Amino acid sequence: MHSTPQQREGRLLLAPLVAFLIVFLSFPALVDIVYALSDVTFQTMRAPQIVGFRNFGVVLADPEFWAACWFSLRFGVLTAIIECGLGLALAIFLSPIVSRHGWTLALIMLPMMVAPSMVGLMYRLVLHEFAGPLPHYLTLWFGTSPAFLDANNAFWTLVVVEVLQWTPFAFLLFHVAYISIPAEIREAAAMDRATAWKILWRIELPMMKATIAIALGIRFIDGFRVFDNVFGLTGAGAGGSTMSLSIYIYQSFFKGGQIGQAVAASVLMFLASLVVLYGAAVLKAQLDRRRMAA
Amino acid sequence: MAQITLDGVNKVFGKNTVIPSLNLEIGKGEFVVFVGPSGSGKSTLLRLIAGLEETSGGRISIEGKDVTMTPCGERGLAMVFQSYALYPHMTVRQNMAFPLEMVGESKASTAAKVEDAARVLDLTRFLERRPSQLSGGQRQRVAIGRAIVRNPTAFLFDEPLSNLDAALRGSMRLEIMKLHQQLESTMIYVTHDQVEAMTMADRIVVLNHGVIEQVGTPQELYERPANLFVAEFIGAPKMNRIGGRIAAAMGAETIGIRPEHLRIVEGEGTWQGSVELTENLGAESHVHVLCGEAGSLVVRMAGAPSVKAGDKINLSPAEGFTYRFDHEGKALR
Ligand SMILES: Nc1ncnc2c1ncn2[C@@H]1O[C@H](COP(=O)(O)OP(=O)(O)OP(=O)(O)O)[C@@H](O)[C@H]1O
Ligand SMILES: [Mg+2]
Repeated sequence: MHSTPQQREGRLLLAPLVAFLIVFLSFPALVDIVYALSDVTFQTMRAPQIVGFRNFGVVLADPEFWAACWFSLRFGVLTAIIECGLGLALAIFLSPIVSRHGWTLALIMLPMMVAPSMVGLMYRLVLHEFAGPLPHYLTLWFGTSPAFLDANNAFWTLVVVEVLQWTPFAFLLFHVAYISIPAEIREAAAMDRATAWKILWRIELPMMKATIAIALGIRFIDGFRVFDNVFGLTGAGAGGSTMSLSIYIYQSFFKGGQIGQAVAASVLMFLASLVVLYGAAVLKAQLDRRRMAA
Repeated sequence: MAQITLDGVNKVFGKNTVIPSLNLEIGKGEFVVFVGPSGSGKSTLLRLIAGLEETSGGRISIEGKDVTMTPCGERGLAMVFQSYALYPHMTVRQNMAFPLEMVGESKASTAAKVEDAARVLDLTRFLERRPSQLSGGQRQRVAIGRAIVRNPTAFLFDEPLSNLDAALRGSMRLEIMKLHQQLESTMIYVTHDQVEAMTMADRIVVLNHGVIEQVGTPQELYERPANLFVAEFIGAPKMNRIGGRIAAAMGAETIGIRPEHLRIVEGEGTWQGSVELTENLGAESHVHVLCGEAGSLVVRMAGAPSVKAGDKINLSPAEGFTYRFDHEGKALR
């Protein structure tokens, strides 16, 4: 096969990237696949025994795995929707203030500056049943206080903590999208007798659609793979009630020493995310085609 | 009868008075052009009329009704923006239907009006496209279409052609003029291009620092400029101005002679000078001449230049086309 100089040059320029991918991605991936198919513990890490798909069978049959999947999915979807909803509302209602006084933006961004594991630890103190100030004052003033961290409430406590920390991120994305809508477009709509409400629904939100999709996607991924703030706040939680998929993998790896199963679970998580991404790409292509056809 | 009346309208941004106090009457069906240099307040004045900017004082009325406090959507005006301001996520059809939808027009009548406007503007082929799939000229036509469908009392244009190339600008100019003849509606048009102003306007309003320097037909402004500012602003190349003793001899502070009213003469002329450079535009040429006391003068002549740089020539002004101005720049008649 002959190649043009451009093709040869292209290959040459691609070489470092390919080398990088091989070194940093394919080696761990290879190890992952081998471990996923082996019986391996900390003692036998250098001599894994290939056992075929047995690890996958064990993981798929483990109710804790499914509980963790369900937790992560629910957590990811709920926090993404709440964060984006709040972020969007804030971006729209605060835009006159924020665009006039830039420093307010820094204030709103503050929660994002704290490491998530620190946030987890902090709330663990603040909400602690006996030592925490919040339950203390609630009991003092109202005579009773919800047990924020028990099996029934832990999920919602975590959702609130996650939302408080990451709504600013969604806000930032929406703020940028909102202020980049040209003023003349709003003026044109106002001249066309659109009310503020109509401008929001018919002009502004559709123009921010791409940003909304991206924000939902990013926040879902971040929520789905949540680890550090949950780990800091409740760990796996009472009766495993707050075991996210990442915590499941961590626990079976380090605590259970079932390396093969942990890696098999991570491979499953990877495959699931591939399916979701591929599905999203197919859906987008279909929508685009329908729009072109119309 | 005046359709749009501005009565002592003024506008202040913070401490900056952009429009001191302005009176203007615009008749029904008139094509009025606001011209002036950049920053003279043309857009501000247009936006005050549109209701996109609040007045700091004075009254605006449309068809006899005081609309000073009326929100922009309810003044019955349509505006075409310099950036077109099309809704990027809607097709051309949806863009043009939007103003009708907002007033609750029926589906059938909306569709009919959009089709009509599209036919007038030659947009029928593009109805299902999005603005990003159109050329600049086509986008501008969509913006005009969106204005037409509402059948407004008056159209407001803010430099609608300034983003187009010269050839397209010329043809769009004609289209807007044709549209004005067809619709017979009032149009207010902002531009800083004096060719657009001269060719399109029934009446021109010359603005300078928010003050009206003169209002009149293009012919009036050209033949009888009220002051030096208008005289220099209307006409290209710019009017020649001569001060000092030559002007004093004619009882003026400054005199002005348009380049087309200066002749190169054989033998003895009024002024002697040497040619600095010539600009050949094909159909006409501009000759820049340095004349001792009279300073640097531009002569406009038909066809190719008959002189070349360095030539010594004589110039004479045409009889009766010399404008005289006093020390404030006001025209002396
Ligand atoms: N929102 C505003 N805030 C403060 N000053 C403003 C505002 N809008 C306009 N100005 C000022 O008002 C003056 C007139 O502006 P305007 O946009 O009306 O000029 P223009 O004649 O349309 O100029 P151009 O030909 O460049 O468009 C300018 O000095 C400008 O700085
Ligand atoms: Mg302007």
